[in-house]
Amino acid sequence: MGVSEVEESSLQLDEKLMRFMDQLELLEEKRATLNSLIEQGWFSMSKARYSMGNKQVSVLQYASEMKPLVCVNARMQDNGEVQFCTEQQTEKSSKESAKDLRPAEDIGPQEEGVRRRNKPKKTEKDPSEDASSKKAPEVSPVRKSEHNPQQDPLKWFGILVPQSLKQAQSSFKQVIELSAEIATLQIAVLNTRQELKDGLKSKHAAEERLSSSAGQDGRLNNSIASKQVENGEELPSTESR
Amino acid sequence: MAGRGKLIAVIGDEDTCTGFLLGGIGELNKNRKPNFLVVEKDTNGETGPDSVLKMSNLKIKLSSNSLTEYIKYTYKDWARIRLKNVLDQIPFRNHLL
Repeated sequence: MGVSEVEESSLQLDEKLMRFMDQLELLEEKRATLNSLIEQGWFSMSKARYSMGNKQVSVLQYASEMKPLVCVNARMQDNGEVQFCTEQQTEKSSKESAKDLRPAEDIGPQEEGVRRRNKPKKTEKDPSEDASSKKAPEVSPVRKSEHNPQQDPLKWFGILVPQSLKQAQSSFKQVIELSAEIATLQIAVLNTRQELKDGLKSKHAAEERLSSSAGQDGRLNNSIASKQVENGEELPSTESR
Repeated sequence: MAGRGKLIAVIGDEDTCTGFLLGGIGELNKNRKPNFLVVEKDTNGETGPDSVLKMSNLKIKLSSNSLTEYIKYTYKDWARIRLKNVLDQIPFRNHLL
């Protein structure tokens, strides 16, 4: 019974160790990717600074009012581990601005205006004209529903920014997403390490139990053997008689 | 304001903070306190990170390896902060310390 318990705990420990190693390897890969993306971002920012000027890309350009565009949500998975994921927050502001704009457009005159006194003949062109007239009100909310320029941090550095600054922004956006994944992995690694420690303790406890029970069996066997030896010594003396 | 989710904080040099702010993590709360700290030569290691590390609506904090080591030994509430939050480490461009 004791031996099977030790074997079982050894197998579990092996599985946990393999999982720990896999997680560590994945963590190192993601960290390497993160570092290279950050370096790419720094390089792009240096290029932008070279073209725009030293003080144009600095702390002095930060906005006096900032709202976060990215937030982090923590979810509990089925295995009890925490998972971090990033969410963009631009949609709310765009939807709100679109809703605010729609009534202004609806208020505008629709039925009034210049009337076509001479009704044109219905030709193939009319449906396309109707479609284009229908498209016009649709296009403007789409244009206005693009993210508010005040929200985009790129606008802090000017209206026309170089491509390198946009590349820096895209690199750092990828870094932010990777950071959430790395945070999740870090927690998983710490949890697996704790499970390994607990597993080792239970294995040592099982081995000690096994050795103590083996020690007791050994003492019993020794006592039985000694009795047998004593009996064995007596027998030859009776035979000699 | 944070809205539904929590925020990411950054403690790093000027370029790193600028980059992450370009990514859209920056916030100035009601008291006009930012969720980032630009570390310079004269930044106080004991009290400087206070404004960032003690914010309640933060989930992930990014700091460079060398800065983390420096803050570990100078910042008074390090142990409590470390247990409470997830700290990611990022490369540090200018080794000021």
